[in-house]
Amino acid sequence: MKALVATLAIVFVITFLAAPTMGAGWFWDAGNALGFAAFGGLLYLTITSVRRLDVRAHQVLGYGVLAVTVAHAFWFLLGDAAAVEFLKPGAPDYMWLGVVSLLSLGVLITAALVPDRIRLHKDYPSFKYWHRVLAIVTLASATYHIVVSNFYLGAWYQAVLFVVVAVAVASARPYWARLGQIRIVGNATYLLFSAIFGAAFVAIRNLSL
Amino acid sequence: MKNVFALTILLGVIVIVFGSPIAGEAPAIDYRYGSPKPILPMSFAHIDHAQENCVLCHHNYADDTGGGLCMNCHVTEQDVWPLLEQQFHDLCRDCHAEKTAAGIDGGPPRQCMACHLGDDLP
Repeated sequence: MKALVATLAIVFVITFLAAPTMGAGWFWDAGNALGFAAFGGLLYLTITSVRRLDVRAHQVLGYGVLAVTVAHAFWFLLGDAAAVEFLKPGAPDYMWLGVVSLLSLGVLITAALVPDRIRLHKDYPSFKYWHRVLAIVTLASATYHIVVSNFYLGAWYQAVLFVVVAVAVASARPYWARLGQIRIVGNATYLLFSAIFGAAFVAIRNLSL
Repeated sequence: MKNVFALTILLGVIVIVFGSPIAGEAPAIDYRYGSPKPILPMSFAHIDHAQENCVLCHHNYADDTGGGLCMNCHVTEQDVWPLLEQQFHDLCRDCHAEKTAAGIDGGPPRQCMACHLGDDLP
């Protein structure tokens, strides 16, 4: 649980390093809190996917992260009638990369399930290789979507820190393995801490504290 | 699982094509100010921006790059038209965001519909 809290805390704290009280209204900030919670979940899934992986726990939490990612996308699609323009031809590349991230996460999860996994990959190492490649694509496109959209990481050092965190998580797997076996939390814990961090994110930005 | 995900994506595509059933009034995308393609309406009230220096937006008053309304150039000039969204987001949204960050009520910093519903204010 400590690893999850630390991961979510790093993601949310980076957004507060500059203009921490700048809110855009509860609707907009809550939708983006879902997005940051989904990104934190992605990082946590990567950190915990080391040797002696609890495949079932990894898979179940993957569903939770996908659900939060879908909720982030549909929050804006359903709640802001102009937001759909961000997903039509001519939309900025950072929004298309958000779509790429969502789709690759969906494929990452669904293609890892038997029998499709067996149908797609001749052996387990082949599956592991492509699962890692797709995970990196998902993480990279999500990072681009968040950093370049520039909604909450307006200062250059926030963007740099965010990229450094994403690259470190994706590339330092041998180091994460040395931390020992981290027990992967369930969806209830992930959703609870996402809600706590998300509520703080919205409250600090929109309440006159 | 894959069927649920496929259905979710299909629902997303339906919302993008037909619009949200719960978002309320949708902006009327249309050809505006001679634009080569349909564009979103934009709300802008001079009365709300009276405290700003005119040349902050009307750069043509100072740099002699044309006259008339913003849109006369920004949607009709071939070189400038592709930058319409980026330039206006950078100018309007960033200014709103800077003011909000400074604790000033500087207009909507992010919500799409707060600027793109259109209005009849002068």
